[in-house]
Amino acid sequence: MTVLHVDKLAVRRGGRTIIEDIELDVAAGEIVGVVGKNGCGKSTLLASIAGVLAPRDGRVTVDGARVWGSRRDRTHSRHALGYVPEGADPPGFLLADELWSLCAASRDAEPPSQKLRDALGLDELRATPLDRMSLGQRRRTCLGAAFVGPPKLLVLDEPDNGLDAKRLDALVGLVKEHAAAGGATILASHDALMLEQLDARVFQMRDPVR
Amino acid sequence: MADAMHRSSSSTTSFPATARGDVRWLDVWTRAVIVPAGRRASAIWVGTAIVAAVIFGPTGMRPSDLTGLALHHPGVGATLAVTWMLIYAPTARMLLRADGAAFLRSLPGPRVAPFLLGVAALFGLQAPWVALWVIGEGFVGIAVIILVTLAITLLARWRPPRARAKWPNWRHPGAALRAIQLRALRRRAGDALVRGIGLAILAGATAGLFVRNNELHDAAASVMGAAVIAIVLVPAEVGVLLVILGAHRETAWLAAIAVVQLVATAIAIGAAALIIEPDTSTVLWLAGTSVCVALGSALGCARMLLAAEELPSIASRTVVGSIVVAAYAIVCLGLFGIFGVAAFGATAILAIATIPQGSS
Repeated sequence: MTVLHVDKLAVRRGGRTIIEDIELDVAAGEIVGVVGKNGCGKSTLLASIAGVLAPRDGRVTVDGARVWGSRRDRTHSRHALGYVPEGADPPGFLLADELWSLCAASRDAEPPSQKLRDALGLDELRATPLDRMSLGQRRRTCLGAAFVGPPKLLVLDEPDNGLDAKRLDALVGLVKEHAAAGGATILASHDALMLEQLDARVFQMRDPVR
Repeated sequence: MADAMHRSSSSTTSFPATARGDVRWLDVWTRAVIVPAGRRASAIWVGTAIVAAVIFGPTGMRPSDLTGLALHHPGVGATLAVTWMLIYAPTARMLLRADGAAFLRSLPGPRVAPFLLGVAALFGLQAPWVALWVIGEGFVGIAVIILVTLAITLLARWRPPRARAKWPNWRHPGAALRAIQLRALRRRAGDALVRGIGLAILAGATAGLFVRNNELHDAAASVMGAAVIAIVLVPAEVGVLLVILGAHRETAWLAAIAVVQLVATAIAIGAAALIIEPDTSTVLWLAGTSVCVALGSALGCARMLLAAEELPSIASRTVVGSIVVAAYAIVCLGLFGIFGVAAFGATAILAIATIPQGSS
């Protein structure tokens, strides 16, 4: 069953085309690693899939609902995905547990489980505002928020960036478990070893559009 | 339906309770978009309150006088509208682009409520402008507000195309520093520049209206006009200086002397001239006095920047120092009239001569 379907996607930013004609499917239980040169549009693709950046053309469907479609479709698709942005930059005034609560309430789900909290070391971050965290701490907090649900599709933009070795291992374990439970994952990364550990199918982006 | 999804997380029990209460999408969106825009607008409100006190003071105009003048005098109307557009565009940009809430777009949330809140804030945060036109012109004023807001919306949504950067070819260190400062202003300080230009026009327009309204001429007009320009220009100059400080701290003093004060003053004089016309002699008096005050202020700011170069508190010192320099200029002009320019200039030169040892 296809969880994510991307059809002829094109996105423009700042007056220039960043990506165009992207075609991609991710099935339930599948992990797809998006790779490519710096500036080729990996983050743009993931932001568009996650409903953050509106495309100029094409269509993104998550769990059968169009991310940029009708109100009902928008709500359903966002309900089905968890997103970690490249900068791990949700509103900085939120405390970590407020972000998890927001994601849990938005997805009609339970807050992070004890297992997830232990794996990512979330308890120590609970009462810390995001804008006082290091990049690695923000990334862990965002991962905790993304896994809340858990959603049918994880959209992770360089989720390994800033993580120490212990948390990186935990992340690999969590993503594999998510896939084993039937969840789909699309992630951008420059870490070939991590993609290999995840047994991810590689989606190679074209060189940057000039 | 959307609201039903934003139920309280406190109803769940697997996560230790921290008594945070409800965390609702719309609340977070409001804090991420409306509150920062409100904070930025509050500075505009303070600035316009000062200007309003000058223009609508006991011997001043009524709002209908100003709006009537703007409607029947193209120069005044254009100056007023452009000033407000430039001052308010950065706030409008925060509301329209909502960059602070980008992450929230990945979560299911309401669409209509943030749109309505955004529109309400777009008009509500223009309170001084709205008050001026509604009190001054009633329904015609509302039409003006809507038209100007549409223009502001277009301006705020416009993203200039990215210029293709050439390979830099800086032949000496001075050229490199100048180029770095200009690039910092162009690329990082779009809002500060737009706001600065708006405030400079506002300073000039306020001075022009003050002079015109009080029927001042020549030396008397130049003293009062220069004093008004000096104080209203402070936030414009500080915004730009802080960006230059961030780009290259060691040469910020050079920018203070060479560019910021004089350019801001030139813009202000241009705006004042549009309103004072056709009294050429008064405009020339005002230009001469304001340029002298600007040179003195430039020296004063440079002194303050050089003294604080090594300090971590340089940014706050820049703000306070600029206010002190402007206030001192006003005191000199108030006490000694046109001769206050000489007193202010002499003090500024003296201040430069007493730069602490070790400063570059």
